[in-house]
Amino acid sequence: MSKPSDLIQGTLDLLILKTIALEPMHGWAIAKRIQQVSNEVLQITQGALYPALHRLEQQGWVRGAWRESETGREAKFYSLTKAGKAQLEKELEQWHRLSNAVVLVISAARGQEV
Amino acid sequence: MSSWRWWELLRLRLRSLGQRGRVETELKKELSYHLERQTEENMAAGMNEREAREAARRVFGGVSQVEEECRDMRGTQYLENFVQDLRFAARTLEKNLSFTVVIVLTLALSIGANSAIFSVIDGVLLKPLPYPKADRLVRIFYRSDNYPKFPLNPWDFLDFRARNRSFESMAIYTHADLQLSGAGGDPVKLSVFRISSGYFRVLGVQPARGREFDFEEERPNSGDVVILSDRLWRNQFAAAADILGRKVMLDSQPFTVVGVMPPGVDHPGNTYNAVAYGDTVDAWTTFTFEGDSNRRGSHYVEGIGRLKPGVSAEQAAADFNSIMAQLATVHSNDRGWTIYMNPLYREVVGPVQKLLVVLLGAVGLVLLIACVNAANLLLARATARQAEIAVRAALGAGPGRLIRQMLAESLLISLMGGAVGLLIAFGGVRVLVGLLPPGFPRANSIHVNGTMFAVTAAVAIGTGLIFGLVPAVQAARTDPQKGLHGAGRGSGGNRRQTRLRAALVAGEVGLACLLLVGAGAMLRSFVNLLRLDPGFRPEHVLTAEIALPEANYKTTESISSFYQSLLDKVRALPGAHAAGAGTDLPWTGYDDNMGGFVFEGRRKPGPDNESHARYHVASPDYFKAVGIPLLSGRYFDARDVKRSQRVLIINDAMAKTYWPGEDPVGRRLSFDDNPKESDWFTVVGIVGDVKDTPGSSAAEPAFWWPLAQEPFGFGGMKVVLRAESDPVLLTDGLRLAVREIDPSLAVAHIRVMDRVLDEQYSTPRFALFLVGLFAALALVLATIGIYGVISYSVSQRMPEFGMRVALGATGWNLMVMVIREGVLLTGVGVAIGLVCAVLFSRVLDNLLYNASARDPLTLVGVALVAMITASLASLPSARRATNSDPMTSLRAE
Repeated sequence: MSKPSDLIQGTLDLLILKTIALEPMHGWAIAKRIQQVSNEVLQITQGALYPALHRLEQQGWVRGAWRESETGREAKFYSLTKAGKAQLEKELEQWHRLSNAVVLVISAARGQEV
Repeated sequence: MSSWRWWELLRLRLRSLGQRGRVETELKKELSYHLERQTEENMAAGMNEREAREAARRVFGGVSQVEEECRDMRGTQYLENFVQDLRFAARTLEKNLSFTVVIVLTLALSIGANSAIFSVIDGVLLKPLPYPKADRLVRIFYRSDNYPKFPLNPWDFLDFRARNRSFESMAIYTHADLQLSGAGGDPVKLSVFRISSGYFRVLGVQPARGREFDFEEERPNSGDVVILSDRLWRNQFAAAADILGRKVMLDSQPFTVVGVMPPGVDHPGNTYNAVAYGDTVDAWTTFTFEGDSNRRGSHYVEGIGRLKPGVSAEQAAADFNSIMAQLATVHSNDRGWTIYMNPLYREVVGPVQKLLVVLLGAVGLVLLIACVNAANLLLARATARQAEIAVRAALGAGPGRLIRQMLAESLLISLMGGAVGLLIAFGGVRVLVGLLPPGFPRANSIHVNGTMFAVTAAVAIGTGLIFGLVPAVQAARTDPQKGLHGAGRGSGGNRRQTRLRAALVAGEVGLACLLLVGAGAMLRSFVNLLRLDPGFRPEHVLTAEIALPEANYKTTESISSFYQSLLDKVRALPGAHAAGAGTDLPWTGYDDNMGGFVFEGRRKPGPDNESHARYHVASPDYFKAVGIPLLSGRYFDARDVKRSQRVLIINDAMAKTYWPGEDPVGRRLSFDDNPKESDWFTVVGIVGDVKDTPGSSAAEPAFWWPLAQEPFGFGGMKVVLRAESDPVLLTDGLRLAVREIDPSLAVAHIRVMDRVLDEQYSTPRFALFLVGLFAALALVLATIGIYGVISYSVSQRMPEFGMRVALGATGWNLMVMVIREGVLLTGVGVAIGLVCAVLFSRVLDNLLYNASARDPLTLVGVALVAMITASLASLPSARRATNSDPMTSLRAE
């Protein structure tokens, strides 16, 4: 199975949307960027990226377009659509709420232990 | 979500489906680009090419799995699965060809019949009338206690038009055929309407050339003008461009052509001397009239108006009633009347609306029965396929997947049925239009069109879902373990399914009974109509119409002498028995009415005592030729000439209405309020009643003037010839006789009286034929259903029957058992059907003549037919039961 087991379910979408929010990118570059920016902490199974990209495309949040890449060959570049930008905002907000909540729970649990 | 995004999503899905190849190539290209980049990076890090490629694949994961997951993301897999299901369904159906053919054909018949009837309804009822803003057109009538719809008096119309606040425009029109001569060729009789100036403005149609009549032309002696129909202009005047201003000879009088109408100006229909709705009028001339504006007893013009926006027919009627009340204070003839306004749409289609809705209901029931049958056959097959379904369920097909697969099968069947049904509908619409009774409103607007396609498709899909759902849900409930177990034993049927199938068949028998009761009631009604004494003798009678041009036949004497010599000539024809002429033929529609009689020796009638009767003119032998019996007194004869005593013949209804309990013969009446001695008419004879149409509840009062004394100079007469045998043989003799007297005359509408009668029966016959056909179809479908269930039940019970034989049961016992099962099943259905029939019987009431769907004889008859059919349908299975072999049964157990 190529499911990103080390990533919390659903966060892959967020990572992709955030990554291409800056500029249109092709799949390989997205994978590299996520790895680099996270200081190699987030090791996504590269293959798993594509079903996620295609799902986001079918939902109309990203748009794929073929053009020449930095190596001179054609690659499919993904960019955010208007709907995708709104979706990114929503997911970011959710993520913040969730991570804050998790932090709260964890710190509270630690306090009890002591 | 914005609509733009929906559009975008739809585009993406369509792309995934429609450009599947390209989407796939792009997917491959995308993934291989990734792998190449990763390989290059690995090589840059110092690996050799092979190592680099392998490492790249490792971090990527399984390529084909990723591809498959990407495909799943396209959101079109439901559809792709559906296509797969359809393919599988097609293979299954192909394997059960006879089964498939039976269901598809029964569905095709019912879907086709539905679509054909729908087309008729679409053309007649659903399409708006072909006038702009047709919903504002209203027909205007008088109404009294005795007459629900009565024509207008023209003087009243002038007052209405002057005082009206409800109509944008209003007009009157009346039928007055004219004879066209000198246009090259023989004289032709034209269907002509005399109209007031606003007529075409009311309808909302402008002449294609020239103009409509103006107000001035309504005045008498303002010069004769005519507007031609497009058809007449093309056929008789070769579409001459210089037609306007030309003089044409109508009834030997010059008329100036002032306009030509565009093609397809539909006549809105009229009630009196009825001309059918549609493109049935050849020309229009001006309606002019003269006389004393205080004498308003004659009612003979039809009113129509275009309502102002926002004014309802009821409001307009209230407005007119207040005008009527004012008029009644001045004119005694106007007392006792109220105004009735009927929207034109209702006036035109009202008489057939109910019939069409009943037909749609009947054909809908047939479709429902066909659905039940299809569901039942699918259920039976699902039972036979239980093992297969169980295997699929055991292998992980969820209930949703199983339902979808079964529905794919039923949809495939219903779509095939729909396709064949469409062909049937194409032919059916043509047959239906051919069968339509003459004068059926808007028959000209019935066409096969896109709506019919759409409706057929929708009906087909709907039926597929309806009859597929029950078996599909049943299949989804299959317990894999039980199914596999049972299948192994070869007796997979379970009780629940058997009961369900029996219930379905009982239901379909009930529906069929409903239709049979309807057909039975219509049959009885039709027989009643045929048995009805028409009041005249239509056999061996030839009729024809002659219109004498006013220019050449100005006086009653000249008219009377023309007909006298014509009738003398034709009576002398070999094979002729009697010859007469009259203004009207029985059963051909309403006639004009005369009112405000004064009876000698009685007080003048008060304002509330209105007197009215249909008026006609007849030659001495008219009654003999038509076959209307003399009840008392005498027929007209040679004594009744211009200067002799003025006489009348009245019908029985008039005698009973105005001389109740007295003998009217010898009594006198007058149409003048203050009669002089010469204004009195003496009743010399009473003849039998003839109703307006066979369906009318009673005959209306009527009287006849003798031809030689009639006051109006009617030149248009119907010639009636009674023959010894075949009346058609007199046709040439009649034409020749007319030509010998006046070669400029046209003889029109030659037909035998039987045909006039036939037209009167055509509507109930049309209804009877179709409902009968649908009922027969329903019975056949129900028979198939009963046969199917009993046959299946017998095959299930063969071991049981074997045991019974072993225990001493005879073949006869077994047959009785099986047939009893069939009859019981049917009995339940019949009971349901008859109860429903009685509950819904009112639906048919207006369509029946002296018959009812609650008639016990019909109900018992239907029950018998259903029971006998059930026994016959069970017979083959019963005979099979007698073949059961005790040894096989014993071994199997």
